[in-house]
Amino acid sequence: MNFLMLISVAWVALKVNLLRSILTMLGIIIGVAAVIIMLALGSGARYEVDQQIKSLGGNVFIISSRLRFMGGAQQASGGQSLTEMDALAIESQIPQVTVAAPTVQSSGQVIYGNMNWAPSILGVDNKIYQAQSWSIAEGRTFSDSELSSAGRVAVIGQTVKHELFGASDALGQTIRINKIPVTIIGVLNGKGQNTQGNDQDDLVFMPIDTVRKRISGITLSSPKAVRSIIVQVADERDMGLVEQEMDALLRQRLRTTANDQPFRIRNLSEMVETRAQTMQIFNGLLAAVASVSLLVGGIGIMNIMLVSVTERTREIGLRMAVGAKPADIMRQFLIEAVLLCALGGALGLSLAVAVTWSVEHFLRYTAIIQPEVVLMSIGFSALIGVFFGYYPAKKAAQLQPIEALRYE
Amino acid sequence: MTQVVIASKGIEKHYQMGEQQVKALKGINVAIYQGDFVAVMGPSGSGKSTFMNMLGCLDSPSAGNITLKGTDVTHLKAAELAEIRNRYIGFVFQQFNLLPRTTALDNVMLPLLYTNIGRAEAIKRASECLTLVGLGSRMDHHPSQLSGGQQQRVAIARALVNKPAIILADEPTGALDTETGLEIMALFQQLHKQGTTLVLVTHEPDIAAFASRQLVFRDGLLLSDRNSEPEDAGNALQHFRQTRLAEALT
Repeated sequence: MNFLMLISVAWVALKVNLLRSILTMLGIIIGVAAVIIMLALGSGARYEVDQQIKSLGGNVFIISSRLRFMGGAQQASGGQSLTEMDALAIESQIPQVTVAAPTVQSSGQVIYGNMNWAPSILGVDNKIYQAQSWSIAEGRTFSDSELSSAGRVAVIGQTVKHELFGASDALGQTIRINKIPVTIIGVLNGKGQNTQGNDQDDLVFMPIDTVRKRISGITLSSPKAVRSIIVQVADERDMGLVEQEMDALLRQRLRTTANDQPFRIRNLSEMVETRAQTMQIFNGLLAAVASVSLLVGGIGIMNIMLVSVTERTREIGLRMAVGAKPADIMRQFLIEAVLLCALGGALGLSLAVAVTWSVEHFLRYTAIIQPEVVLMSIGFSALIGVFFGYYPAKKAAQLQPIEALRYE
Repeated sequence: MTQVVIASKGIEKHYQMGEQQVKALKGINVAIYQGDFVAVMGPSGSGKSTFMNMLGCLDSPSAGNITLKGTDVTHLKAAELAEIRNRYIGFVFQQFNLLPRTTALDNVMLPLLYTNIGRAEAIKRASECLTLVGLGSRMDHHPSQLSGGQQQRVAIARALVNKPAIILADEPTGALDTETGLEIMALFQQLHKQGTTLVLVTHEPDIAAFASRQLVFRDGLLLSDRNSEPEDAGNALQHFRQTRLAEALT
């Protein structure tokens, strides 16, 4: 009997019990779909993380002062704080560093007409654009005189523009930040959400002195104190070295001992990576649970094949009587099981494609079905067919023709 | 001297029933010749069905041996026996044993699935056999659309399709009414006249009378083996119909 005929015989047998075949396949369909969807979501999340690391640059440090911020009031702990001079020192004394941008954070109500909004307010100089890969959509960056004289100007993020101005023009408009009138001179290009779902565009840039003197209005331990310094390194491979050098340099500058920690150096992409790994583990767990359902589906196949062998004992006896060898019977039932699983796998794949498509379009998750996952799941489900079909097929092949013929 | 198709030499069959050993066959010597029409008779438990299974290579004897066309088939493996059955033996069963939801043609083609014969040739042979048994016009009917007699004809066509050396029929009329049974016997006689070797198991002497040789079994032994002039099933059928008509008229 050639292969095509075997398939058609198996197909006929499955069609005879159509509902039963579909119900049996359902286990495999759901199992395969679940595995593919979980892996697709995992790949999607991985892709997002990679994109974010790319946008952050894998080569950025954030050094933060260990100053406590309480209710907007800045209190120095231990008196020592990072300053703009530290940023300059890092930039000039560590050759691998391309830029070190000092920043001060504040918050406050931003009011335009009858609209108001509370974005995060960052005091920066023009180095921030390079350090955090920002670019200007319209308008300009701060001029030197605006920076040196604590000018009442601001560059706003896309979210702030949208909330306050809607579709109308923001450039040149005056907004009030903590009651201080400020002129908008520029609008940033959008970055969208980060992987945690935080809106990265919900911010206002102002000259660093403006924030220190006019917005937060707190006397600091040093007139040039900063909240954090964003450091960009030329080559990602130098990250470890630069971290050590910065630590040494800052300790020396701040005259701190090894036990004292007035600052903290964080590698952003490492943080994202760590979070991504946790997520990956979680995704792996989900995929494992999904493959358990595939296993259960396989057991369902075995169950129904055993029922089928029992039901068709007389048929098996007859086939043997007219010349079917044990191997022929074995092949017949094995192919039935494999066909059932392979069809289930194909349907499961279609279901997974449909679901990931909906997830991408309606929930805005990134989900990527890798081609090898497709091959793997179809192959795996066929393998399940062989594995779980083997025992019932063996049982059928071992039947004695006379007993099988006499079976009631 | 006509050729021996199947011969059994001293075959025995033992079954273990708990502690007790039951001997279903106690040494049977029979030779079936080319062109024979043999009826195997005996009460249930006499060993006739066991003997039949041995002849059909469905079961192996505990002792003795069986030769088919001069070849010893006693100790062959399951796969080899399957091939022997496929090539040399056609089976007809009491319960027809047709595949449900499968056309008459496909049912008849079943033995050919396990040969190298191509599909076109298989269809040709199967239709010839169906035509021979008088079902040329019902090839695409399913068993559920056929009467008992017609189903048995399909089964006979299936037994013929491999051009076997011998046809073994186990109570072929057992599930049929008298008239249909006679029709089937007439078909067997027709096949016999065309040269087919036939062995049929029955416990009805009326049916056995249509064969030309009768073997009688009792308690695992061959009680008698005699040749007789067979009655004509066609005549018997005609007579049966006339009697029934007469009864209906009176």
